[in-house]
Amino acid sequence: MQSKEASSSMEVDTVPSEAKVLPPKPKFKPLKPHEMASGQVQFRKVSVPPHRYTPLKKIWMEIYTPIYEQMKIDIRMNLKGRKVELKTRPDTPDISNLQKCADFVHAFMLGFDVIDAIAILRLDELYVESFEIKDVKTLRGDHLSRAIGRLSGKGGKTKFTIENATKTRIVIADTKIHILGSFANIKVARDSLCYLIMGSPAGKVYSKLRAITSRMAERF
Amino acid sequence: MANTNNAGAEALRRLKEVDPPSLLAPNPTLSETARAASQYLFSSIRPFSQKCPLDQLLVDGYDAEQIWHQIDLQTQPLLSTLRRRVNQFVKNPDEIAQLKVPSSVAKKVEAKNHEEWEQESDDFDEELDEDDDDEDDFEGVEKEEKNGGSDGEEEEDDDDDDDEEGSEDEDEDEEGEKEKGKGKDSGIEDKFLKINELNEYLEKEENNYENAEEADDGDEDSEEDDELEKAGEFEMDEDDEDDDEEEDEDDEEEEEEGMENARYDDFFVGKKEKSSKRKDQLVEESEDSGDEDDMESNKQKKRTASTHEKQLEKIQSEIELMEKANVEPKTWSMQGEVTAANRPVDSLLAVNLDFEHNVRPTPVITEEFTASIEDMIQKRIIEGLFNDVQRAPRLPSKAPREVKELDDNKSKKGLAEMYEQEYVQKIDPTSAPLSSKDKLKNEASMLFKRLCLKLDALSHFSFAPKPVIEDMSFQTNVPALAMEEIAPVAVSDAAMLAPEEVFDGKGDVKEEAELTQAERKRRRANKKRKFKADAVKRSEKKARSEKKEDNAIPGQVNG
Repeated sequence: MQSKEASSSMEVDTVPSEAKVLPPKPKFKPLKPHEMASGQVQFRKVSVPPHRYTPLKKIWMEIYTPIYEQMKIDIRMNLKGRKVELKTRPDTPDISNLQKCADFVHAFMLGFDVIDAIAILRLDELYVESFEIKDVKTLRGDHLSRAIGRLSGKGGKTKFTIENATKTRIVIADTKIHILGSFANIKVARDSLCYLIMGSPAGKVYSKLRAITSRMAERF
Repeated sequence: MANTNNAGAEALRRLKEVDPPSLLAPNPTLSETARAASQYLFSSIRPFSQKCPLDQLLVDGYDAEQIWHQIDLQTQPLLSTLRRRVNQFVKNPDEIAQLKVPSSVAKKVEAKNHEEWEQESDDFDEELDEDDDDEDDFEGVEKEEKNGGSDGEEEEDDDDDDDEEGSEDEDEDEEGEKEKGKGKDSGIEDKFLKINELNEYLEKEENNYENAEEADDGDEDSEEDDELEKAGEFEMDEDDEDDDEEEDEDDEEEEEEGMENARYDDFFVGKKEKSSKRKDQLVEESEDSGDEDDMESNKQKKRTASTHEKQLEKIQSEIELMEKANVEPKTWSMQGEVTAANRPVDSLLAVNLDFEHNVRPTPVITEEFTASIEDMIQKRIIEGLFNDVQRAPRLPSKAPREVKELDDNKSKKGLAEMYEQEYVQKIDPTSAPLSSKDKLKNEASMLFKRLCLKLDALSHFSFAPKPVIEDMSFQTNVPALAMEEIAPVAVSDAAMLAPEEVFDGKGDVKEEAELTQAERKRRRANKKRKFKADAVKRSEKKARSEKKEDNAIPGQVNG
């Protein structure tokens, strides 16, 4: 009976005002990256391939300085294990710094120049894409060699052309190809390289590139 | 009548006795006598001249001219007739014995006796002569009276003679045809046509025509022209009328045939299939008559084929030929599509065939041809007028897109810098990097600025130079004087090179040409020394770097 009566109007349970004050919202300071990982130090280890050993030695200071000074990440070279080790410090400003540094060092190890790889530190959304020639097309022996030649062009002309047109950096290491750049640019560069692998002459690829890049440039 | 006759004869006699010289002067009595005599003569001849419309010579109040013409009217036809008869008799003396009588005159002549006829024929001759004499006299009188001049006399005589001969012949023709007509009435004539009636009609028409002309001519001035014209007209009229008569008769013959039995076969050589008896008869008769006519007419035609008749003959023969050709089957070259079977062997060789050539015939290369071409080439070279094809300018539909040129050199900027630039561009569009367009603009603006600077320097009294932008640029060592010349204040001294910068050298400086032998040697020795020292340094450097590497590697192996 009561319920019926109650159904017509909303029943409100009035709790006796005991004046329970909710605790105030906690005001936390933003977590430091150091603390984010619950105070533990984070590591990254990048192995050094033998052909990059000497260049690393020569260029060490150029790598070390920005990482240590600006990224505030500890870096050291483990000679025995042939690895570059990176470690966060308590005063590392950003949690992503470590990863960026690791990527930067990794890019260098792949074969990119320091000045090109530095861009990874400076820009957020630069990626490195790697693929192999055999992923695109199975080539053997002479064909493979010719494909590699086609990719680079005479004196590296073709490679530079693609780099300039798409604002990427390309490293052709035997059958492996690494592309450093922003996502869209990587795509364009990858497509051009795939055409070259599949056999298109350089002129054709150039014309395609021209069209695409002009379109891209117009957009901005 | 007898009195007048006597008077007339008397006048005639008197005239004969006149002295010819007295005729030279105009004499009224003499003229009276002459008129009377001519009247008498006229009336005496009148019975024998059928065609003459005048019964008697009208002399009162008439000119000599008019009288003469009246006489002419009478005598002209008569004379021609007589001449013809005489010629006939001359040719066939036998006929004199068997005198055939002409149709209309025959009745009057037949009335007389045969002897009388002969007498009269003699008289005829006499009178003919007299007439001739008279006519001559008259001619002389009239001419002197009228002052016709000596030109016309002989011509008139000749014309008259010709006219008379012509008219004689035509009269003979007429008479001959009249005879024929009379003889073959049954063959040619029809219920519609009678030859005799036709002849009478024609004569009447002739006379009317002549009278009309006389009346007209009586009023004309010049005597000679009239006579000439008359003579000519007479001749022509008689000719035409005679021809018309002949033609009409022939045409009538043909028309008769056509009218009755107009059949294709009659005209054209071919099959003579159907023909009625009557038609055959007529045809035969007409053919016979035609043949006879032809024979006789041929004789006469051969004698008197006028130009018109000749033309007609020619045309007729041509027409016959053409008709013949039309009837026969055409030659093979005139037929449509003719195969080899339908024409004789090797007949194409004889015929000039006309083909349509779609292909231009190849030009024959002769020396002149090549010479002409070479001349043209030389001329063109001299002028420089080559017909070079010029590209047709395309209208720009849109502004040309800025073509981004692909650079195939290694980029000097790092990737970071490129992205940095891109970012800056996005944020701050003013600080956009120079595109190719801008480069040109910059260059242009720089040139213009320089030009303006110069112009300002020249044109201002108090010229304040622009602040010098210190950039790494090559300083040319321009002499101060040159600078000062243009504008003393234009360039600040600070930008000039310092003397040490101009030349950094010690002691006496001599040119190559000024050196003595010893000095030259000294210089060369110095150079060699320097070179050697540099070489040693370089080798040392190399050795050092190699050593370092060698040292490093074992270190690596260990570590």
